[in-house]
Amino acid sequence: MDVLIQIAVFIILLALGYGLGSYLENRHYKSIRQREQQTRLVPLVTFGTKKYWPDDAQDAKLLVGSVVISIDYFKRISAALRNLIGGRITVYESLLDRGRREALLRMKEQGIEWGATQILNVRLETATIGGRAGDNKGLGSVEVIAYGTGIR
Amino acid sequence: MKYVPKEIPEGINVTRRHPLANFVYLLGTVVLISLLIFVALGYTASYLVTKISPETEAKIGQMLATAILEDELKDDQRIHYIEELLGSLPEANETIRLPLTIHLLDSDIVNAAIMPGGHVLIHTALLEQMKSENELALILAHELGHFQARDPLKSLGRSLVLMVASSLLGISTAESGGISKIVLMTSDLTELNYSRKQESAADLYGLTRIIKRYGHGGYSLDFFVQLAAEEEQELVKVSGYFLTHPPSKERIKELNIEANEKGWKMAGEPTLLPEWLYCPNMEPCEW
Repeated sequence: MDVLIQIAVFIILLALGYGLGSYLENRHYKSIRQREQQTRLVPLVTFGTKKYWPDDAQDAKLLVGSVVISIDYFKRISAALRNLIGGRITVYESLLDRGRREALLRMKEQGIEWGATQILNVRLETATIGGRAGDNKGLGSVEVIAYGTGIR
Repeated sequence: MKYVPKEIPEGINVTRRHPLANFVYLLGTVVLISLLIFVALGYTASYLVTKISPETEAKIGQMLATAILEDELKDDQRIHYIEELLGSLPEANETIRLPLTIHLLDSDIVNAAIMPGGHVLIHTALLEQMKSENELALILAHELGHFQARDPLKSLGRSLVLMVASSLLGISTAESGGISKIVLMTSDLTELNYSRKQESAADLYGLTRIIKRYGHGGYSLDFFVQLAAEEEQELVKVSGYFLTHPPSKERIKELNIEANEKGWKMAGEPTLLPEWLYCPNMEPCEW
């Protein structure tokens, strides 16, 4: 009986995680695609060497876009199972993809509002919040920060 | 140079694989592998415990018994009666590798059990339910069957192996949420199935002894009949796979089929229990 209750709770959590998780993910992707179309006129430019900024630029500003995304129960279990077997954690790929694109978008949107014509030397960084290696009890979520120099 | 934005490509960094298909594959693999490991380890443990000498078993039993048997009723005359009844059950040429000890526990829960080292636990509530000696004898013979098959040792060995294995894998530390659950549930379910087989074997052993002792199987199944009635009343019907014991109805059916095949008589006069069996120290009392 105990085993049955355990299984039932597990399945409910899993279904909840999958249902809500994929609904939210799809909604997020829809918004990302739409906003990427809206903001694609401002180029992100990254140079390999030190360079003077373009002649027509008058003004520069540090632009930072940051987002924190949490995994859902379904992703957590899928990834934990994957830990035993090895291979690509495909469920996390979409999570990080969303994180990077959302962070870039927030940075870009901030730049557009300020009036940027280009954003130079864009960098991406990630940080985990909770769920560090060896301590996976906490909430597992990831922060993605995108930053660059906006010019106008 | 003028900047001309291009179409934004989609899905470069995300593997095209349906999360559910991915999950089913992962779950299937993990369950299958843990099943194989646990079954293999379990069988190894069951095999190894057959190599344990009776002396070592007695020591193990002593250690477990001192830890568990706190509210045991000592110097109760009923113990001697039960011991005698149990002693009369094995066949004359049957070797019992250790002397069996009866422990009478004061408890409201209807239960009987056997521990490694031949410690038979009988709850007082069980005695109160008994209507005939045949009924009590079958329960004792059932526990004797477990003892002869070394079932208590086997389950001890299996749980030890499983505990060690899962702590080595780091599963027991609840490291990654649900994983421990999946792997342990798999092992739980295989465990249950194992103990159900043992129960059926012990049932059959028990009935064989009853037939030898009383010449018929009448009244011996009363306890199962009562359990079956209680199980009927339970609202939640749990599939047999999740129960440690087979459903009582099935146990009765199986035993009757077996008796039919062997030509055993399943009806006869009951042997009455001594009236004072329900009272402490077997002193005449009102109950």
